[in-house]
Amino acid sequence: MFRTFIFQNFIDWIDRISFLRKRKTRRISFQLLFLGFLGLIIWYFVSKALQLDLGFSHLNSRAGFGLSHTFFIDYSSNDSRWKAYFTGVINTIRICSLGILLTTILGTIMGVARLSSNFLISRISALYIEILRNTPLLVQIVFWQIVFLKLPQISNAITTGGYTAISNRGILIPWIEANPKFDIFFAIVVIAILISIFLKVFLNRREEEKGQKLYSNFIPLIMFFGISLLGLLFTGIPFNWNIPSVAQNEFGTYMQSGGFELSPEFLALLFALVLYTGTFVTEIVRGSIQSLPKGQTEAALALGFSSYQRIILVILPQALRSIIPPLTNQYLNLTKNSSLAVVIAYPDLFMVTRTIINNSGHALPMFFVVLFTYLSLSLIISLIMNLLNRQVTKVRV
Amino acid sequence: MDVVKERGELKCGVNDNLTGFGVVMPDGSFEGFDIDYCKAIAAAILGDSSKVEYVPLTASARFTALGSGEIDVLIRNTTWTASRDRELAQDFTATTFYDGQGMMVYADSGYKTIEDMSGATVCVLQGTTTELNLDDRFTKSGIPYTPLTFETNDPLQAAFEEKRCDGWTTDKSGLASKRAEFPASAGGPDALVVLAETLSKEPLGPLTRDNDSEFYDVVQWVVFGMMQAEESGINSSNVSSMAANPKDPGMARLLGVGFDGGEVQDFQFGIPKDFMQKVISQVGNYGEVYDRHLVPLGLTREGSFNALWTDGGLIYAPPFR
Repeated sequence: MFRTFIFQNFIDWIDRISFLRKRKTRRISFQLLFLGFLGLIIWYFVSKALQLDLGFSHLNSRAGFGLSHTFFIDYSSNDSRWKAYFTGVINTIRICSLGILLTTILGTIMGVARLSSNFLISRISALYIEILRNTPLLVQIVFWQIVFLKLPQISNAITTGGYTAISNRGILIPWIEANPKFDIFFAIVVIAILISIFLKVFLNRREEEKGQKLYSNFIPLIMFFGISLLGLLFTGIPFNWNIPSVAQNEFGTYMQSGGFELSPEFLALLFALVLYTGTFVTEIVRGSIQSLPKGQTEAALALGFSSYQRIILVILPQALRSIIPPLTNQYLNLTKNSSLAVVIAYPDLFMVTRTIINNSGHALPMFFVVLFTYLSLSLIISLIMNLLNRQVTKVRV
Repeated sequence: MDVVKERGELKCGVNDNLTGFGVVMPDGSFEGFDIDYCKAIAAAILGDSSKVEYVPLTASARFTALGSGEIDVLIRNTTWTASRDRELAQDFTATTFYDGQGMMVYADSGYKTIEDMSGATVCVLQGTTTELNLDDRFTKSGIPYTPLTFETNDPLQAAFEEKRCDGWTTDKSGLASKRAEFPASAGGPDALVVLAETLSKEPLGPLTRDNDSEFYDVVQWVVFGMMQAEESGINSSNVSSMAANPKDPGMARLLGVGFDGGEVQDFQFGIPKDFMQKVISQVGNYGEVYDRHLVPLGLTREGSFNALWTDGGLIYAPPFR
């Protein structure tokens, strides 16, 4: 009894004076230990990395290699490695932006079609999903490359009445080029847009005040096209057609020129990415529509909406709330998967960087550059989609 | 090198798709000129030429594989250049084959020289000196061209067969092997010509990692030993009788035996003194390896850089003494 008393007092005494026994002390000391350990590991990696040459100065030297696809940037092998890298970035952005746009359209149409009461349409959509979702993307990319290589060879290019040039060197379509009249026309179009917006706001306000229908979409649209058409008559046609052609030069090499060029590599990558990612978007759209209460459809039917109005005005706006977050994931997937371009000779960011690595040997810093670039692209997409999501979910239901 | 001995197997980075140099056979085994050097090194270090694990590598992945230690030695038609030797921190041991970049075009295209190829599209492999030489050549003459850069040979060949590109450039040895096996459906070998012009010097040979001088020396002297063996007239069929009764002290030193009952000279490579005997009996000398793999491709040896120095070529081994 006495001993227990002594012991208890001893512990109390220890507790009072020894901060080592305090629970808080223990917690903090464990965390400090962990942090110290983590710090050691980081220090180890950093010191290892510092032994390597982490500089980016080699990016200033002459690139020395050509690129088959240069878009927007006028790159030649005499330019620096930086410029080669930016050409790759532009090529990646080009494929991703077009891919995301087409994927969204395809996915929405197929998602709605999947739920169609028409047996044929819903089966086509189901077949599309099951085939393309269940085969590897890499295989699909190579498949499309071979498909596009089976287009006629350039010596037998299809020139539909002299307006296109379709061969396995590329599909060239007629394109428009601005001529000197374009500036005036452009100014008129800007004015037309401003007037239309003003009109739209004005009509909307009147509609709310008077409570009668004033065609607040239709009238500004007519106004816009009316002014633009008048401007067109005033300036004359502000574009020239750029018609593609194929011709042999003095050495017998077939050269294609003019028009807008879609190379087989670009098309193969685009087709594969859009069709593959489209299956996932289709499922997202279908799932989101199905998650809406059936009463929404029934209410729209009861109000006498047409099937088009029902989808556009009632179903899709509500479905968008649950579509956007998973859709963002698919956009990011598409962007990241575009790095498979290296297989079929499309010079995207990753391929150009790997060429630079092979020529210079600075693998680690260049991989940091690649990772950073993809990260930036992904974060930009996420940012845009989050802003969109905020817009869509502004109104609580 | 101790790692190799301990593992009991040599990890050799090779090409699996270049007939004559390194190619996978239908039964999964590897065969070719470069492959035989893997075998020779394994025979020298481990005493058995079959103790090799072949790691097929793409042109752009090969240096990373060697640098990371995934393979011990890289023997994959790789060109010796200053930047690779220094910047990539890897060592070239010796030149096994003197190659040069060429251009292959369709015979019906009418191209006679590279100067004719204005505006042409050229298929080339990514991450190779070939890509850079190609650009140098066209830039020098001020000729416009479009490079189509592939990562691997198969999609490149698919594109070339469909005439997606007008020319195909790589080392002439590679072009010869690709031409020899060009499918009949696309016209067969006769539909193609390799232009006479050589765009570059391309000495090919095995590489090891920097700062592994013991292993480096072994690889280097196995290569030299095979050249010396040919020069001395030792081949796989007569090596045992030569070892039993060497004709001169030089031959005795090469084969790691004593001359006329004398002492054996030990070069202290850290491997058995008679390593060249094993190499020659299991793989052969330089000429045998060349005849086995490269002569069938139409790469004749007489008059080329790859003849022995005594025949006016560049194949020359420093003395074994």
